[in-house]
Amino acid sequence: MTPAWILDILAALMLVVAGVSAGRLVAAQPWQRGSVFTDTDVAHLLMAIAMAGMLASSLTTLPNAAWDVIFALLTAWFAVRVVRDASANGVRALAGGHCAPHLVHSAAMLYMFEALAAPAGGAGMSGMGSSGSAMQTLRYPTLAFVFALILIGYTIWDLDQLSGRRYGTRPTLAPLAGVTAAVPALAAAGGPAATPSAPQAAVLAETGGTASAPANVGVAADLDASAPETGSAARGFLLSPAVTISCRIAMGATMAFMLIIMI
Amino acid sequence: MSQVAIAGGRAAWRGRLGTELQSTGARLDVRRALQLGLAAIWLLDGVLQYQAFMYSKGFSQMLGGTASGNPGVVARPINWNATLVEHHLVLLNTIFATIQVLIGLGIAFRPTVRAALAASIAWALGVWWFGEGLGGVLNGAASPLNGAPGAVIIYALLAVLLWPADHPGASAPFTAARAVGAHVARALWLVLWLSLAYFALTPGNRAAQGPNGMIAGMDSGQPGWLSAILRGAASLVAGQGLAASIALAVALVIIALGVYLPPSVTKATLVLAIVVALVIWVVGEAFGMILAGGATDPNSGPLLVLLALCYWPVKATAAPALATSAEGKAL
Repeated sequence: MTPAWILDILAALMLVVAGVSAGRLVAAQPWQRGSVFTDTDVAHLLMAIAMAGMLASSLTTLPNAAWDVIFALLTAWFAVRVVRDASANGVRALAGGHCAPHLVHSAAMLYMFEALAAPAGGAGMSGMGSSGSAMQTLRYPTLAFVFALILIGYTIWDLDQLSGRRYGTRPTLAPLAGVTAAVPALAAAGGPAATPSAPQAAVLAETGGTASAPANVGVAADLDASAPETGSAARGFLLSPAVTISCRIAMGATMAFMLIIMI
Repeated sequence: MSQVAIAGGRAAWRGRLGTELQSTGARLDVRRALQLGLAAIWLLDGVLQYQAFMYSKGFSQMLGGTASGNPGVVARPINWNATLVEHHLVLLNTIFATIQVLIGLGIAFRPTVRAALAASIAWALGVWWFGEGLGGVLNGAASPLNGAPGAVIIYALLAVLLWPADHPGASAPFTAARAVGAHVARALWLVLWLSLAYFALTPGNRAAQGPNGMIAGMDSGQPGWLSAILRGAASLVAGQGLAASIALAVALVIIALGVYLPPSVTKATLVLAIVVALVIWVVGEAFGMILAGGATDPNSGPLLVLLALCYWPVKATAAPALATSAEGKAL
């Protein structure tokens, strides 16, 4: 079977992703009114923990039933956001919008927890490498293959866009067409000028934070990271789009790996 | 983190987003998109190499099996490689898998695209010999239905055709011509598809039960729906090996010649090529046996589709829109 040390390395990578996502959540200060919309970081954090638990037999996380509920909710949440993106920006957003990869990630996690037989006792996944000489397999392997193909596609696309410097490594302003002056985007902003009013936040919430089509990821990400002119460089980097897209690349590739080796 | 934003509301968003769509379309040209397709297949290939089967003796036995029927000069290195892999299975297979993953990621990562494509050519040639026994070309085992002339050699061909450079001279009538020129690209296409037509007509493949046996042999371990398709296809060609082989060979010859015809006809033959490649992938290769577990790669079907897209006629322009790396190099 696939050596346990490979699974452990990937589990460690997922823990790093979880740590980065947690760091982004803290740095973004989502508890401040109207400051930020953090659903993808929450999703990354939860997925990374769940994947680490699946990969490493020594890690015990939540019971399977809890993960089922969590990923069902995340899938529904991102499905709604993708539909809203599509209604605002056209059907292209169904596949290439900012939230579409997160929807696929969430759905793939839900599938894995549903399709992988839970160990006796049901106290969480015992780890892919924990079942002795036999690798656990997934029911409905066709679905696993389809998910893996889509995840690989998104991973390759994200890597291309990341290396094309579409996603910045530092906060930027986000000038909008039709707006006379550049308006600082608000994610994680520290100063009052960067804090959205309640109506603005409502608009954002209504549109799912942003409208996004494939090409809009850059916009979304720019806005995502634009902010903390008053913050430290490290905080700015942590909150940059490049970091969150890097996390998405790592998770997508690892998830595809997990799906393939459990076919 | 998702986005928070901004004054201006939905109209402002739309204005900005429309601009982004246009600029993005200019940045990702057809060749870059095809490179990304190749990168995705390499990444899938690499991930498949991490499967449990590859860490069993079955993998080294599979490698050694490709030596059978080959001339000694070809077979001896294959056997040597298989023995080496058997003795250092975990280490070598992990290296193999990681190399393939890195090739895929390297092609997708713009600054390393040239290095990754160059590495993919070298790696593919090595695997074609040591891992696929030259695709069965020399031992009579090659068939269009089983991935002849070796799926991995098509990776190398694609890397050459998608090399990020533009051939001097007249503008390219299709993407594959940009790197090597139209004449060379067409000749490569002709050789590949005519060789497939030839393999379709070799004695083993035109035998009455040849195609039937090959398709039926893919059935083991497949999900029910795919098993049903394979059984249906096998029964369709049962006892009809000669007729099926001739029909396939005719289609392959038409495809081979199609790139020399006017663009409108070329498009029709390329559609035929894509259809044939997909039929081969599903019926002849059972998706590379991925769903049954133990596949080393997705086999030739998706690569042939990608190759056909490289020859899709494009409007010749003096200065095609280039995808560029962060440093401004053409991709």
